[in-house]
Amino acid sequence: MSETAVLSVNRLNKHFGGIVAVKDMTFEVQAGEVLGLMGPNGAGKTTLLNLIAGVYPPDSGRVLFQGKDITRRAPHKICHLGIARTYQIPQPFTHLLVRDNLRVAATYGSKEGNMSKLDEILDLVDLSKQKAVPAGDLATVSLKRLELARALATNPTLILLDEVAAGSTDAELPRILDIIRQLRKMGKTIILVEHVMKVMVEAVDRIVVMDKGEKIAEGTPGEVMKDDKVIAAYFG
Amino acid sequence: MVVRDKMKTPRLATLVPVLILVLLALFPLIGIPLNWLNYLFSFFIYLALATMWNLLAGYTGLIMLCPHAFVGLAGYTMAIGTWVGMPFRAGLIAGAAVAALFALIISYPVFRMKGIYFAIGTLVLPEALKAWFSFWRPVGTAYQGGGAGYAVAGVTGFTLGDKYWLALAIAAASIFVVHIILRARLGLGLTAIRDNENTAASAGVNIFRLKLSSFLIAAFIMGIAGAAYYIHNPRIQPTSGFNISWLLLPLMATVIGGEGSEEGPIIGAAIVTFLRFLLADYGAWSLFIQGIILVVVVITMPQGIAGLLRRVGAYRFPLGLLQAAEGRIYKNIK
Repeated sequence: MSETAVLSVNRLNKHFGGIVAVKDMTFEVQAGEVLGLMGPNGAGKTTLLNLIAGVYPPDSGRVLFQGKDITRRAPHKICHLGIARTYQIPQPFTHLLVRDNLRVAATYGSKEGNMSKLDEILDLVDLSKQKAVPAGDLATVSLKRLELARALATNPTLILLDEVAAGSTDAELPRILDIIRQLRKMGKTIILVEHVMKVMVEAVDRIVVMDKGEKIAEGTPGEVMKDDKVIAAYFG
Repeated sequence: MVVRDKMKTPRLATLVPVLILVLLALFPLIGIPLNWLNYLFSFFIYLALATMWNLLAGYTGLIMLCPHAFVGLAGYTMAIGTWVGMPFRAGLIAGAAVAALFALIISYPVFRMKGIYFAIGTLVLPEALKAWFSFWRPVGTAYQGGGAGYAVAGVTGFTLGDKYWLALAIAAASIFVVHIILRARLGLGLTAIRDNENTAASAGVNIFRLKLSSFLIAAFIMGIAGAAYYIHNPRIQPTSGFNISWLLLPLMATVIGGEGSEEGPIIGAAIVTFLRFLLADYGAWSLFIQGIILVVVVITMPQGIAGLLRRVGAYRFPLGLLQAAEGRIYKNIK
């Protein structure tokens, strides 16, 4: 593992029954980097995020965060160490107000209890006007933003973004790209799972491509798009 | 489930519960009928149980089906305690502590189950305790005619008024505890767990620790309420202490009154007590009628009576009055 790696995933394996979800995954994310994670549906991207976030333990392999072994730690402990995640299908606290959704994350997820930053975060994701609305009343696009806001409220070092742009219209994409740029400016390290190509190509430094649980390619967006294995995985 | 109401409440509103509490505390002194005191005693006990059940079901998302384990254990602890020379007042606390200890012991296995599995897992526990206490007789000679009942010794000097005040204090404390929790860090975490456990965990909430906190608080207060009941009715048996009605009463009160609202269990406990009074002479029919009421409420008022009251804005008028009164007071001070 190199000196500057924030996250280092080492030969990670996970299967569910007879299905291999993640196979021998190895990759690193450097400090301040935006790493794209792509692959066809069912390639194991979300499983990989779940393994990093501690939702379930891997069958074998290790996850190192800032040099510390975090494999098999509970999700709330991983959050305390500085890894936040969003869910592909938004999972808000439905009956709590938007602001209280963030208060949970700030109160329990961040050491310094960064309550003062909540308004800034709401501004960043354009939810300021809806902060006193129950999260259950938000539309899907706003719920995706809330996912992002909740992750930010824990004041993380590394953010795992699971398809934040999916379901957005073309007109909304520039705003999402802008938000990701802002996060980068804040010094956050990001792993971005995304199907929307425009976001992938414009926002990330490097891409890891998965297929059937395995890493099939890694490199800059330009390199990866020309890779024969990637083309084969997507177009058969 | 009802979201905490964000209605602006005038400061004078905090005086209302205090006034009600004082008024209720005066009842034994002004010579109201003993029968009333008896029913109010039951009301306070049900109220404490329902408020705690609501803390778990309405605010933590735990459908806990073993209040009768806590009531029975606390009652037995106090009763057996009085046989070995422990004053019943100390037994009250000891009983609640044993109930909380039991909750602590079962927490690890039952919290591994979620949703309906947690509910079923907790439901079997009182049955096991009932069987255990049917043959386990640690002190005293075999009870006449078999069985394992115990009388609570040394409560003869404790008047109905005393019992009434004890129950009132327990009910008031239970409401106060939930009120404080909901406005503290703990309440925020509990409601997060209720709404989405996975998200709560990924937002840094220690699910096990928070669930355990509310579980222990509920077990302790349910235990103390149960033990208080057996000071008033000083004979406990496995079939009474671990009776499923200790579950059905708070459950019905909470669901009818409004799960996930602070006033819900109060309204519900009042209704359940009133029904008991109305239907006292009808035996088995009483349960049947209560069941029908429960079904009607669940179908027509999914958020209970409290939810309905909020929807129609029933609190607006009294709160408005208080607001106006407050404004006038401020003016006079100036």
